[in-house]
Amino acid sequence: MRRLSRTAGTSRILLLLALLWVAVILLFAVLRPTMFSASTVTTILQFSTILALVSLGQCLVILAGGAGIDLSVGGMVSLSVVLAMMAVKAGMPPLLLPVACIVAGALLGLLNGLLVTRLKILPLIATLGTLFVYSGLALALTGGAAQSGVPTWLLPWGRGMILSLPMPFLTLVVPVFAIAAVLLLHSAWGRWLFAMGFNERSARLVGIPVDRGRLLVYGLSGLLAGLAGLVSLAWLGSARPNIGQNLELESLTAVMLGGVAITGGIGGVGGVIAAVILLVTLKTGLLQLNVNTVWQVGIVGALLIAVLLIERLSKRWS
Amino acid sequence: MIAIGGREWALLGAVILATILFSVASPYFATAGNAGTIVRNSTELMLAGLGMTLLLAMGSIDVSIGILMGLAAIAVAHALLAAFAPPLALLVGPIAGAGLGLMTALVVVLGRVPAIVGTLGLLGIYRMGVFALLGGQWLSGLPVGLTELMSIRILGVPLSVLVIAFAYLLVWLALRRTPYGPQLLSIGNSEEKARLSGVPVTKIRIATFVISGALTGLAASFYVANYRNVEMAIGSTLALDAIAAVVLGGTSIMGGRCSLLGTALGVILLRILQNGLLLVGVPSLWQAVVTGGLLIGVLALELPASRMGEMKTKWMQR
Repeated sequence: MRRLSRTAGTSRILLLLALLWVAVILLFAVLRPTMFSASTVTTILQFSTILALVSLGQCLVILAGGAGIDLSVGGMVSLSVVLAMMAVKAGMPPLLLPVACIVAGALLGLLNGLLVTRLKILPLIATLGTLFVYSGLALALTGGAAQSGVPTWLLPWGRGMILSLPMPFLTLVVPVFAIAAVLLLHSAWGRWLFAMGFNERSARLVGIPVDRGRLLVYGLSGLLAGLAGLVSLAWLGSARPNIGQNLELESLTAVMLGGVAITGGIGGVGGVIAAVILLVTLKTGLLQLNVNTVWQVGIVGALLIAVLLIERLSKRWS
Repeated sequence: MIAIGGREWALLGAVILATILFSVASPYFATAGNAGTIVRNSTELMLAGLGMTLLLAMGSIDVSIGILMGLAAIAVAHALLAAFAPPLALLVGPIAGAGLGLMTALVVVLGRVPAIVGTLGLLGIYRMGVFALLGGQWLSGLPVGLTELMSIRILGVPLSVLVIAFAYLLVWLALRRTPYGPQLLSIGNSEEKARLSGVPVTKIRIATFVISGALTGLAASFYVANYRNVEMAIGSTLALDAIAAVVLGGTSIMGGRCSLLGTALGVILLRILQNGLLLVGVPSLWQAVVTGGLLIGVLALELPASRMGEMKTKWMQR
């Protein structure tokens, strides 16, 4: 077990991310000293929630290997929100809205999993296709307009705080990541995941149900996207068909930044949550400096490439 | 490579069938004006799809081509505004595109970043570039010189169609009459084996990204000639459309097999479907859903053939 976390390189990655985070904060401290307040911490954690949940799903998919990647995460967030709201409008009791959102996400994710494991479509092509199908459906079904009518009892949870920490972060992200960490490191299922990502052939030879495991991680990625959608509903009070835009880029960046190998089998969830907070801090800082969101997309993209280049180069030198 | 096989006949049949169906369904479909619209809408995709065919045949991918076309289109637009002679302005596109393709090659080939992740990162960076260059405004009302040049008719055929035919011929010759073709496909089959058998893998891969960039840049010249404006959302669905058309045309996404004629027919079929559905009254928001669904549907239908082969080899082993 200890060896597993060592191969994950978690401590080194965490240290590196912490250093980067301090650098980012110092940068903003120089550029805009007024940024520092308790409310900024709240904002950062609030904005982190959606990305954290989605990135966890992305992390699991990539860990499971087989060129696994889930480009459709953003589409799943958008479409699960839209589907759940449409179900409410079609007469479903609003009490079931959270369940509907999560189930919708899980089903969309399972569809990805079926395409990849049963139909043997290359994950990047399959999820690129479903990204457009899902996000296109979310837009087409709503005509691009935000859907109001979220039951009011959800809002206190989405916007509430405990000790100036946002509720969704405390009640959703923290437990979900804790469960994921425990499962990954201390359950047979978690070790299977690492094994099939690290060396698929030997995983198959020792009898690990590789296809079923991968189907499950795509389903989980969808379920987590549904949860992220639920957070967006409770937070924003409406279902926005474009809420998931750019999430594929950001979640991939977070996962790569968090030290997960793109080839699978190496990495952990600790690095991912640290990377998410780093990314969101960067974005929040840029937002406060009134930098257009397009620049944020560019910077996230540059960060993604830089991380991978550094990883390759350091591998060559060491 | 450009042999007429079952796939091409099937596509031709599908094109004819779609034409008949839409002609019956909409009185506006089978008109000279609409045929012109379909041809004009196909030009960029024809060229971008040609580049994508080479990339996929090599077992690579580029999801940033849409915004790459945007950057090249800005270069062409500025060339026109600076009163370049139209033939020179036409050349600005491919040159700018080749430069950007070289940039992609630096990241993906020399930096060894997986193509899907690397080009997704570049997509973000390029989008930022387009925004920075356009400043959130449209470049519109561009000089008509390029448009007039493209619509010159030689023996009744517009120059634009001739240029595309020439590009296809050139690529076909390169694939059929030079070592480039077999080398490209051998990389697509297995990069490791290609390297061991003496194929200059790095050189070929860089060249292919540059060629694809140049073709997409040429598409940018066509875009400017067609629409005489450049705006922020330029090329947002080009990558998906190109991948869908190429896969439809029978090029293997796993690399090692490509069909230029298939790509051309795939582009025509895709544009006929998009145009026809619009005329039948399907809102344009559904276009991405249809294209993504088509991509996944084709790959799902291809399954029986590939899985049958797989099962056969399994039986042979027993």
